[in-house]
Amino acid sequence: MTGPSPFIRLEDVRKSFGAVRALQGVDLSCSAGECIGLVGHNGAGKSTLMNLLAGVFGAEGRMAIDGEDVGGRHTVASAQAQGIRCVFQELSLCPNLTVAENARVMHRALKGFGWRKRAGALITAKLDQVFPGHGIGASDIVGDLPIARRQMVEIARAFTVTDAPARLVILDEPTSSLDAHQASQLLAYVRRFVAEGGAVVLISHLLGEILAAADRVVVMKDGRVVAERPASEFTRSSLVAAMGTVAREEAEERAAVTGRRGGDAPTRVRARAAAGGVDLIAHRGEIVGLAGLGGQGQSEMLIRIFDAARRTVPGITVEGGSALVAGDRQTDGVFPLWSIAENITITSLNRLKRGILIDSGKTDAMAEDWKARIGIRTPDIHNPILSLSGGNQQKALFARALGSTAETVLMDDPMRGVDIGTKQEVYGMIRAEAERGRTFLWYTTEMDELKHCDHVYVFRDQRIVADLSRAELTEERVLHASFEEVA
Amino acid sequence: MTRLAGTVSLLALVAALGAGTALADTKDKKIALSNNYAGNSWRQAMLRSWDKVTKPAVEAGIVAAADPFTTAENQVTEQAAQIQNLVLQGYNAIVLNAASPDALNGAVKEACDAGVTVVSFDGIVTEPCAWRIAVDFKQMGKDEVLYLKDKIPAGGNVLEIRGLAGVFVDDEISKGIHEGVAENPQFKIVGSVHGDWDQAKAQAAVAGILPSLPDDIVAVVTQGGDGYGAAQAFKAAGRKMPTIIMGNRQDELAWWKEQKDANGYETMSVSIAPGVSTLAFWVAQQILDGKEVPKDLVVPFLRIDQGTLEKSLETTEKGGVANVEYSAEDAQKVVDAAKK
Amino acid sequence: MRLTARQLRTLLPALSLVVLLAAIFYLQPRAMSYVGFNLMLNLAIPIALATVAQMCVITVNDLDLSIGTYVGFVACVGATLLSGGMGALPVVKELQASGALPATLPWIMQTPLVGVVALVFGIAVYAALGALIHWRNLPSIVVTLGMSFVWLGLSVLILPVPGGQAPAFLRSLMTLKPAYIPFPIIAAIVIAILANLLLMHTSYGAVLRGAGGNPKAIERAGWSLLKVKMTMFALAGFFGMLAGLSLVGLTTSGDANIALRYTLLSIAGVILGGGEFVGGRISPVGAVIGAVTLTLAGSFLSFMRISPDWQIGAQGAILIIVLAARTLIDRAERRR
Repeated sequence: MTGPSPFIRLEDVRKSFGAVRALQGVDLSCSAGECIGLVGHNGAGKSTLMNLLAGVFGAEGRMAIDGEDVGGRHTVASAQAQGIRCVFQELSLCPNLTVAENARVMHRALKGFGWRKRAGALITAKLDQVFPGHGIGASDIVGDLPIARRQMVEIARAFTVTDAPARLVILDEPTSSLDAHQASQLLAYVRRFVAEGGAVVLISHLLGEILAAADRVVVMKDGRVVAERPASEFTRSSLVAAMGTVAREEAEERAAVTGRRGGDAPTRVRARAAAGGVDLIAHRGEIVGLAGLGGQGQSEMLIRIFDAARRTVPGITVEGGSALVAGDRQTDGVFPLWSIAENITITSLNRLKRGILIDSGKTDAMAEDWKARIGIRTPDIHNPILSLSGGNQQKALFARALGSTAETVLMDDPMRGVDIGTKQEVYGMIRAEAERGRTFLWYTTEMDELKHCDHVYVFRDQRIVADLSRAELTEERVLHASFEEVA
Repeated sequence: MTRLAGTVSLLALVAALGAGTALADTKDKKIALSNNYAGNSWRQAMLRSWDKVTKPAVEAGIVAAADPFTTAENQVTEQAAQIQNLVLQGYNAIVLNAASPDALNGAVKEACDAGVTVVSFDGIVTEPCAWRIAVDFKQMGKDEVLYLKDKIPAGGNVLEIRGLAGVFVDDEISKGIHEGVAENPQFKIVGSVHGDWDQAKAQAAVAGILPSLPDDIVAVVTQGGDGYGAAQAFKAAGRKMPTIIMGNRQDELAWWKEQKDANGYETMSVSIAPGVSTLAFWVAQQILDGKEVPKDLVVPFLRIDQGTLEKSLETTEKGGVANVEYSAEDAQKVVDAAKK
Repeated sequence: MRLTARQLRTLLPALSLVVLLAAIFYLQPRAMSYVGFNLMLNLAIPIALATVAQMCVITVNDLDLSIGTYVGFVACVGATLLSGGMGALPVVKELQASGALPATLPWIMQTPLVGVVALVFGIAVYAALGALIHWRNLPSIVVTLGMSFVWLGLSVLILPVPGGQAPAFLRSLMTLKPAYIPFPIIAAIVIAILANLLLMHTSYGAVLRGAGGNPKAIERAGWSLLKVKMTMFALAGFFGMLAGLSLVGLTTSGDANIALRYTLLSIAGVILGGGEFVGGRISPVGAVIGAVTLTLAGSFLSFMRISPDWQIGAQGAILIIVLAARTLIDRAERRR
C-alpha cells in the first residue's frame, strides 16, 4: 500500500476475553478519503476491532494514528479528540434526552449560555445534510422517536463537527433499522464525506451496501483478516465464499452423514415465524437447528414457543410442554444467590413436594442424580451456583431443563462462553436425550453446533428463509441464505 | 397538694353539666385534641376518657365541638402538619399531647399567632405561648415518703425500686424520694434496684438484692407497675411484708385488696390518671371562657387510699390502670392552686 | 389544539394539584387565604427540598433511603452547632455544669463555623457514597439503608434529647411574611426554578440525566460516570441540607427523629411528579409539585375528617390514582 501515510494503522493486534480469542493478529490501515467495508460472520471480531479503534479498551499489538504510536494511551477521550467517531450497533443515545441534548453529550464544546440552541442547530443541520426530509425536531425526546429516526439521529450525530474534527466514522450495521430510501441517503452521504477527505469504516451484513459504498473490502473470520481487496474485485458470491472458505471441505466430508428426519414420528412443535415464511416443524426425538445471523428473530421464536406451551399463541402449537435453556446466564438463567441444587430443581418443585412443603430429600436426590449424569464438577451440590465455572453453571441450567417433564427443550445459544470440553459433554447429552424421544430446538451462531442438528432452519428478518437437512448443510449455504437480499 | 383522689367521674360530670349554663360563653367554641400516639393502654384510656367527658359537654352545649385527632405515625412533622390543619379548620383551642417537647414549637407558635389557644399536657411543649399541664414527678416521689412519715412515725429501713435507667421520669421520682428522705432522717434507703416499671423485672431485681439487706425493712417506695412484683419477691423470701407503695395498676390493687381482707394490710397507691386529657379539656374551655389561667399548671396525682381501694379496683379493668375523669371544678382547683 | 399524550403526562402532576386544591377549598373555604396557604404549605418546603434531593439520586437510577435521617441530622446540626457552635451541644453544656469546662468558652467552641463544617461534611459524605456505589457497583438501597442508621446515630450523638435552638436567621427566613404572596408559594417556585435550571437547562445537566438514561453511551462519549454519580449524590446532599435547615427554621428546634417520614414522602413525591425510578426521566418542577400535592393530601384528608388510621391508606390511594392515570396515558400513547 503506497500513497499518503494512513490515518490509522494497526499491526498484529490481538485481543482475548477470557478463553475467547476475539482478535488473533489483525493488520489494518485506513487512510483519509476512503471507505472500508468490513464483513464477516457473527463473532468474526468486527465489533471488537471497532471498540478498539474507539478506545473502549486496549489490546496487544501496535496501533498508530497519523504515524504516531499511541500504544496504551488510546482512550475514548483521546479517540474523540483525534476525530474518531462510532455508531454502535446497539444504540448509544440517551432515550430520556432530547435530540439536541444527545448532541451535547457527544460534544464537550457545547456549553455555556445558549448551548441548547447551538446543539439543536448543529444536529438539525447535519440531519438535513444526511437525511433530507427526516422530520426530526431538535427538541424531540429520543425515546419517543421510532427506531429508524433514532438511528438517523445517531448517525447524523457521529458526523457533526464542533471543535473536535470528524476524521474517521465507524458505522456498525448502520442501516439495520433504516428503510431502503434512508439507507441510500446514508450511503450517498458516506460517499460525499469520503470525497471531502473523511474516512469511513462500514460494517454491514448487507453485501450490496458494502459493494456499493466501499472502496476496499476487508473480510474477517475467527479474529483474523482473511481477505482484503478493492471492492471492485469482489462480487457477492466471491464475498460469501471468502467468509466461509474453511467450512467448505468439512461440509462436504460430512455430507455423507444423513440426518434423521422425523417422518412419521409425532409432531411436537409447529410454529409460524413472526413475519411468515416457512413453518417450523419439530418432531419427537429431533434436534432442530435455528441458524442465521444474530438477532434475526431466532430468540423471539424460541420465547414465543415457550409461551405457547403455557397459553395460546396464534400460529404456534406445542405438545408435551417446553423448557428453556437461556444463553445469557447472568440475566436470564441462574439465581445467583441460590445453591446448585436449588438452581437445578426450581422448575421441578411441583414434583418434589410433600404436602405444601418442599421435600428436601427429594430435591437433593434429584440434584445428586443430575450432578452425576451431567458431570457437574462440584464437591457439594449445596455450594452456591456462582462457585461453579461458567461451563458448569451452564450444565446446571441444562440439568434444570432436562430434569423437568418438558418434552421439548428450547436452547437459546446456550454454549456462549463455554469451554470446548464441556461443549462436547453437553453435545453427547443432547444426542442421548434425543434418542430417548426428547425434542430440541437449538439456536446457535456457531456453525459447528449446527452439525449436530437433524435439520436447520435459517432465519432472516424474522422469517424462515431456508430449511436445510443435515445432508444439505454447509456453511456456505447457511451464509447464502443469511445474506440473500431481496432484489 | 390538691386532693382529688376518689372523685367519681359521674358526679363530676353532673357538676359540670350543672355549671353549663354559667359557661355559655364558650358554646360556639371548638376544641380539638391533637394526640401523637395511641398505641398503649394508657393512651387508649386517655382517648376513652376524652370521649366520655367531651361528648356530654358538646351535647349540653358547653362547647360546639371537641374532636380527637391522632397522628398515625407518631412523627413530629406529621403532628406539626396536623396542628396547622386544625388551625385552618377553625378550632379555637387545641389540646395537645406532643410528640416532642421542642420540635413542635414552630407549629404551636403559628397556632398562637392565628389566635388559637394551645394547651399541652403529658407530652408538653416549651413554646411560651402555650399552656402546660405538667406532671410533677418529683412531688410524687416526695409524697410517698410523706405518707410513710404519717404511717410509720418511727421510721426505719426503706428499699427503693426505680424505673428504667436513664429516663427523665425515673430521675425525677427518685430525686423526690431522696429529697423526702433527707427531710425525714428517720428513714434510711438501704437498697436501690431498677425494676423498669415492670412487675416481673421488679420481682427478679428485688429477689436478687434481698439477701444482702437487713431484716427490718419497713417500707418499699416504688414508681408504679412494680409493687406487685416486689410483694411476690418478699413473699418468696419468707420475709415480713413491708409497706409497699403501689402505682395504680390493677394487679397491684388486686393484691392489696387481698392482703387487706386477709390481714388488714395498709398502704397507698399513686400515679397519673390517663383522664388528665379531660383536665386539659376543661382548662382549655376555661381559657376560652376568658378566665385568667397561669401558663404552667401541675397535674394532680390520682391517689388511692385504704378507703377508696374497693371502689377504684371495681372501675379498673384487668391489666389496666386506675383512671379518673376530671370536671370543670377540678380544673378550677388546679388553676387556683397554680395561681397561689 | 389537541394535547399530545406527552404533554398530558407532563401536565398530570399540576392537574392533580389543582384538583386537590379545588377539593380543599370546597371543604374548607377558610384555607383560601394568605394565612391558609401559609399554614397548609409551610411544611411542604422541606419536603419539596428533600424530594428534589431524592430526585437527584433517582436520576442516576439509584434510591436514597437515608434522606429522612440525613435531614434529621442536618436539623440537629442546625439547632446546635450552627446556632451556638460546640458550646450549644448538650454534652458540652453538661461538662460546663459539672465544672470540667469553664463557663465562658473560647472562640473556637462558640463559632457557628463548626456547624458549617459539619454541613459540608454531610455533603462530602454523600459524594463519597456516590463514588462508593459506582466503584464497587453496590446496590444503593443497601448502602443508603446502612447510612440511614449512621445519620440517626450521629443525630443522637449531637442531640441526645430533642431540643436546641434554630439560628435566628433561619427562623426569620422561614417565618417571612411577604406582601400578597405567601412565603411557602414563593419558596416552592424558587426551588422548582432552581432545580429545573440546574438539571434541565445547564449543559452538564444533560450529561447528568443522560447517565440515567444510558450510562454506557455517556461513558462512550468520554464522560466519567464516577464524576456524574458523585455530582448527583453531592447535589442530593446539598438539597437534603437545605431541607434540614428549612425544617429546623420551621420547628425552631431539632430532634433526631424529626424527618423519618421524608424518606418515603420524597420517593412518592418524585414519582407523583412524573419521575420514573429508572431511565433518568425526571421532572424537577413535577417533583416540587408532587411534594406539595402530598402535603396538601394530608390536609385534605384531615379536612375530610378521615380517621388517622385510614389516612396513610388514603394517601396511598391518592398516589395510586395519579399513577394509574399516568399509566393510562402511557398506554394511550403506545396505542397511537
